[in-house]
Amino acid sequence: MTEAQQETASKAAPDLAALEQEGEIAADYLEGLLDIADIDGDIDMDVEGDRAVVSVVDIKGGDLVGANGEVLEALQELTRLAVHRQTGERSRLMLDIGGYRDRRRTELKELGTKVAADVKRSGEPKALRPMTPFERKIVHDAVAAAGLRSESEGEEPRRFVVVLPA
Amino acid sequence: MLEEALEHLVKGIVEHPDEIQVRARRIRSGRVLEVRVHPEDLGKVIGRGGRTAKALRTVVNALGDGKYVRVDLLDLDEVR
Repeated sequence: MTEAQQETASKAAPDLAALEQEGEIAADYLEGLLDIADIDGDIDMDVEGDRAVVSVVDIKGGDLVGANGEVLEALQELTRLAVHRQTGERSRLMLDIGGYRDRRRTELKELGTKVAADVKRSGEPKALRPMTPFERKIVHDAVAAAGLRSESEGEEPRRFVVVLPA
Repeated sequence: MLEEALEHLVKGIVEHPDEIQVRARRIRSGRVLEVRVHPEDLGKVIGRGGRTAKALRTVVNALGDGKYVRVDLLDLDEVR
């Protein structure tokens, strides 16, 4: 089986029970932290495609998102490790806090569309500021939807998207 | 509260959660939280390229009162 076929196979049959279990472990880990930090919030669990999504909603107190979502990314990283410790499997779980990812998704989609239009007009490649993998993916998708190609350059955490002319 | 939060975060990701000690110290430039874990877990809490250590520091500082808190990661047997 080629790598692409394997990818398709694993996408075709996400193990729902395993993803729900990931969500449960993550929710326990996060709830414990909220309790200690005396932050009010509810935890929603969901499965989107082949990954578990855990969202902390209706938060009162504390800033768990941080500048450019850096606290959110850190917390997601730790939550994935907590899941890994219990399941033995690498987790691709997505954490959202206070609707941050939805807001970013909308902003970055608009940015990708706008930059693609600029590049079409100018014919010159355009580099964007560094972004997280989550953010770059949204920009790449928006650029592709506008009919152009884009690449990521540089090293994490300073990796950035370059939009290429046709 | 920060000691407790840090202990919770570390406990969830190590193989020996019962062998964690967190101690707060004051130094001239501010606060230090010293976390000691089982020697086999030290690599785990530091992570590749210090990635996990950085995540722990970021979250702990986000929970704090805005004053920088240093987080030191050590193994239980380490003397200092």
